[in-house]
Amino acid sequence: MSYLQLLRLASPETVVVVTTLVVLAIGLRNRQSPGLNILVAVLGLAGACAAVFMLPRSAVLFAGMLVISPLTSLFKVICLLLAFFTLLMARNLSSRNHAEYVGMILLATIGLMLLVGSEELLMIFIGLELLGLSLYVLAAFEKHDIRAVEAGLKYFLFGSTASAFTLFGISILYGMSGTTALAAIAQKLAGMPIEPLLAAGVVMTLIGFAFKIAAAPFHLWAPDAYQAAPVTSAAFIASGSKVASFVVLGKIVLIGLAPLHGSAGWHAMAGGWMPLLAVLAALSIVIGNFVALVQTNVRRLLAYSAVAHAGYTLLGLVAGGREGFSATLFYTTIYALTLLGAFGVVGAVRREMGNDDIRDFCGLSRRAPLLAGCMAIFMLSLAGLPPLAGFFGKFYLFSAALRAGGNHGLLWLVALALFGSLISLYYYLIVLKVIFVDAKQETAAVAAPQLDLLQRATLLALAGAIVLFGIMPQTLVSRILAALA
Amino acid sequence: MIPPFLFWTFALLLLVFGAAVVLNRNPIASALSLVISFIALSALFMSLDAFFIGIMQVLVYAGAVMVLFLFIIMLLDLRAEERRKINVVATTGGALVALAFFAQLYLVIGQLRIASQPFAPLPPKTDDVRNVGALLFSNFNLPFQIIGVLVLVATVGVIVLSKRELR
Amino acid sequence: MVTLGDYLVVSGLLFTIGFAGVMLRRNIIIIFMSLELMLNAANLSLVAFSRARLGPNGLPDYNAQVFVFFIITVAAAEVAVGLAIIVALYRARQTTHVEDISTLKF
Repeated sequence: MSYLQLLRLASPETVVVVTTLVVLAIGLRNRQSPGLNILVAVLGLAGACAAVFMLPRSAVLFAGMLVISPLTSLFKVICLLLAFFTLLMARNLSSRNHAEYVGMILLATIGLMLLVGSEELLMIFIGLELLGLSLYVLAAFEKHDIRAVEAGLKYFLFGSTASAFTLFGISILYGMSGTTALAAIAQKLAGMPIEPLLAAGVVMTLIGFAFKIAAAPFHLWAPDAYQAAPVTSAAFIASGSKVASFVVLGKIVLIGLAPLHGSAGWHAMAGGWMPLLAVLAALSIVIGNFVALVQTNVRRLLAYSAVAHAGYTLLGLVAGGREGFSATLFYTTIYALTLLGAFGVVGAVRREMGNDDIRDFCGLSRRAPLLAGCMAIFMLSLAGLPPLAGFFGKFYLFSAALRAGGNHGLLWLVALALFGSLISLYYYLIVLKVIFVDAKQETAAVAAPQLDLLQRATLLALAGAIVLFGIMPQTLVSRILAALA
Repeated sequence: MIPPFLFWTFALLLLVFGAAVVLNRNPIASALSLVISFIALSALFMSLDAFFIGIMQVLVYAGAVMVLFLFIIMLLDLRAEERRKINVVATTGGALVALAFFAQLYLVIGQLRIASQPFAPLPPKTDDVRNVGALLFSNFNLPFQIIGVLVLVATVGVIVLSKRELR
Repeated sequence: MVTLGDYLVVSGLLFTIGFAGVMLRRNIIIIFMSLELMLNAANLSLVAFSRARLGPNGLPDYNAQVFVFFIITVAAAEVAVGLAIIVALYRARQTTHVEDISTLKF
């Protein structure tokens, strides 16, 4: 393995690293407007995207540390796209350190790409830490805002504890199998009885990921990070980090721990990671939806709904197999796009009203019909109403779960998820009711949110994608299925 | 292999001073306990014939991380905290969770077959610095480069978060 | 004889002490130190496993020792970022107690 070969196979990551350095260098001179930094960063992301397309179809480096396959290439592009949309919305930062902010988003993107493109526990750990550290900084970035710093600290404390658990779990997995490559772990574990220590290792490893995807009861950081961090940071934490975590969680359980799946069927519970994830999913759906009912702040509401959505998305992994995994991947991608858009609207309202409680959205449909329309699409997609992408994603997930687990064994989980979706309809509609129906006199005088052309275009593109993937889900699903073949 | 007497001495040092980190009121005392605890840990690494890791442990932790801790404690002028009312429910609850956690782990380790066998002897010459170094620059080349990016994240992040804004 | 099990028990105890510190202490600096204890418990079990699993040439599995090398580096970077967040918090708020952070509720 020569350096040149390594450079070629890791070219997307390399392009992003170089872009980061350029942005940081520009930031030394230009501290006035963020426009130039964002332009350079966006060009760099486009270059990285091009580099992904020029990768060979499949390659494995260093026993899985860097895996290039249709799946990793597809999700590298998706991660780059999420970073692209996040950057387009990052123009109204109140801090003067624009370059560092943009640089941090790029560095977090590298973490995402490494996570997506690795099937080895050391690289996964380093990717998690790279992503985690940059997200902690992004969350606490506006340091004059006490609440943002506190949210960053809370995120940091929960995150580092979770990664310590994951690390201890990894050390046990290594001890039991003698390797850290996922494929080799599966081989070693295949013939082994489930030793109790191994079970402990699996549980501890999964705890760290439950934290990353904000599944209950490891979600306590999410409401604060979503509510108090700068809007763009929160959007990136909610979207990019979640997509990459689901991809890598899926790889760990479906490749590395494949022999230990157990069963989560109602009549056939058997020890393994499936019942574990099923319990996490059930808890997340119940806690997320019920606590979301009483929220008065839109970002906090989105955070608890994110917990519930993590629960739905886990259903695909519990179902297992190619179909289940593809349902999970489709849903998490759609969810990330939706949430990015929703945070874009919240950010616009926040700039205008100074806050983002539900009542600040009062009469938005008259002040800014475009924003209101986009928000309606995002909310209805999150609630899972046809013909939006969220509906198809849920349908796909639930049907995959019903077919798996033999004899409708997962029916209990699907029923719970359907019940949760029903509840969630209520709080999403409350937001829409406030936007479209309620009108208070005092808010009528407030000027419409100022959005430049680019931000409008971003929101429209996201809303368009949600509608498009709802009407023609096959465009994405077939790609994911082909990549998993 | 290390004689059991020395092993238990260092293990005890590690755990007692580890507990002292958690129990001390004064952050400086905690930081110093942490150093002793880590030096004992490094001795345990060396007892496992991991000399390079043992040295790294002392250099990085006692040399860098601890200085950083002490620097921050003194920069922020943190004193020993005054006695606060202890939240009894939270404390006993937390202690119980920790205890249950350890009991679980202990039972689990006890059932492990390979755990009860003594370590096999090594060949007389093991040159672990060379072996670790060779791996670092061959099989672990990629993570080694990525660590550079990670340190960049830490550098930029720390500067942005802790510098004073000039208005 | 000292066995792998002894090392694992010590490592488990160290992890538990660290975890207890994270849950029980309110002083953020001490919580950070407890986090370091947890990470180092993982290091100890990795090195012990590497010593127990001799490779074909009779040497320990050095892959795990390289892993530990990376963990030490990552942990140092993590501490640096964490302490920077504390400095920012202290500038804004003059406290290092978790309990005093109450603007964010459940």
